[in-house]
Amino acid sequence: MQSLISDNIVRKRFSVEELQITAEEVESLARMDENLPSYAGFIEDELLGRLKNASIQGGYLIEPAEVVDETIIIEGNNFEVGPTIAGALSNSEQVAFFVCTAGNEISERVNELNAKGDWLEAYLVDVMGSVMVETAMDKLQAIIENECVANGLRITNRYSPGYSGWNVKEQALLFSFFPEKFCGITLSDSCLMHPVKSVSGFIGIGTKVRYRKHACSQCNATNCIYRNSKKHCDFSHLNG
Amino acid sequence: MEELFEQLAYCIEYGKINKPSPFPPDMKDKDGADEITQQLLNEGISADDILQKALIVGMEKVGVKFRENKVFVPQVLMSAKAMDAAMAHLKPHFANSPGSQKGTFIIGTVEGDLHDIGKNLVAMMVEGNGYEVIDLGTDVKAEKFIEAAEQYPGAVIGLSALLTTTMNNMEEITKAIKSHNRNIAICIGGAPVNQDFCDKIGADSYNPDPQGVVEFLNKTVE
Ligand code: B12
Repeated sequence: MQSLISDNIVRKRFSVEELQITAEEVESLARMDENLPSYAGFIEDELLGRLKNASIQGGYLIEPAEVVDETIIIEGNNFEVGPTIAGALSNSEQVAFFVCTAGNEISERVNELNAKGDWLEAYLVDVMGSVMVETAMDKLQAIIENECVANGLRITNRYSPGYSGWNVKEQALLFSFFPEKFCGITLSDSCLMHPVKSVSGFIGIGTKVRYRKHACSQCNATNCIYRNSKKHCDFSHLNG
Repeated sequence: MEELFEQLAYCIEYGKINKPSPFPPDMKDKDGADEITQQLLNEGISADDILQKALIVGMEKVGVKFRENKVFVPQVLMSAKAMDAAMAHLKPHFANSPGSQKGTFIIGTVEGDLHDIGKNLVAMMVEGNGYEVIDLGTDVKAEKFIEAAEQYPGAVIGLSALLTTTMNNMEEITKAIKSHNRNIAICIGGAPVNQDFCDKIGADSYNPDPQGVVEFLNKTVE
């Protein structure tokens, strides 16, 4: 089989513009009811103004992997991902580690708005940050997928520490595969990434792996605030 | 008078801040929380009556609707903003007669955790229900909670955490507070927290939503 493994860590920067975030998706994820006034103008102004130069970036690294029961072994390191993720990755021969961030500008803006008492605006910018990092991650995933398809390989969905029985603590191990402060992201002792609007995880790669569409009805996050909301299923992290 | 109380409660419930605010559409050009509160004060109604008979009534309705998934975060924030406009008129009166609020609630996101949307929502709802809220912010250590509890005797402490790793810090903070003074009541919440965890760490109350804390406080604080 084709190997995509190399010593190169791929790093990408994304502009707010190329993410093509719409006010509609932000409002829908924020659960702005139809009977609330539209904040589309505010959202667009923020995206074109204050958040225009947000340092959105991400990167990945592909390594050979072996799945044994509920463990994924990569370069001699054991990731205890639990039955669900191990099952989804079961036929993977390689794994792409990823991290991605929407940058610190979001939190700065959120704090600024909160300090002014513009709580709803602050909340919308917060949601925008979540959409930005997930959309950037979609793009990064598409880059990984293209590379795989060109080599006759397929990818799984993306999975993150802290989800589906995979302890968030294993993020430390995941981060050890990247150089320090990669993409400007740092990890605290409690495994919290800075900037806050960041995600990490991995994607399985192989000839026999499968990509699954997310369905709320099959997800065990019954208290997810986005459960059964209109558009959230496009975002893997945001749907629990 | 009853009618004005009702109108004010409605403004809080639906987030009608003041006359110029365009929302909700059916109240266009009508007085909002700002004007009605001033009007009530002008008529000699006490700040405490306004709080109890209008503001809390409205806020409680929002809390219940939020719990039942009938409204979402943005609507709660609109209500909080209307509440804030009303409280701006009332606060000077409370400052003159301490104790007229129902009690004190100290809240913070635990050490190691920076998430604050959930914590802020809880703070707003509790304040909207007539309590004084001391918000210690995010990444708060045990000592800071204890210090605040010393400063506000009888206050209840609320801890928020959003990651399973910072839940561990919640446990340590709870134990530290309890060993300092086991009479301090502690409520916990946040996405990964549940009742089992609450029982395990010896906290007094777990609630999945802000209204739950309000009900706990109403039962606990005299
Ligand atoms: C949006 C989101 C993100 C966004 C933005 C993060 C942010 N906060 O800004 C992004 C995509 C960046 C993200 C990333 C990650 N996330 Co995330 N995320 C969420 C999500 C979907 C919503 C969080 C939110 O904003 N909720 C809205 C507020 C209003 O809700 P809340 O904070 O829970 O507060 C309510 C209640 O909990 C309660 N409450 C809160 N505090 C208190 C306190 C008291 C006293 C009381 C009584 C009640 C109470 O009242 C509030 C109002 O109802 C949750 C899942 C979920 N449905 O909650 C996961 C979730 C928090 N994330 C999770 C994880 C794992 C992560 C990542 C670690 C994944 C990864 N490896 O990439 C990263 C970490 C990021 C970092 N910086 O370190 C997990 C955490 C669980 C765990 N195992 O630790 C969750 C729970 C999802 C899951 N697996 O179920 N995430």
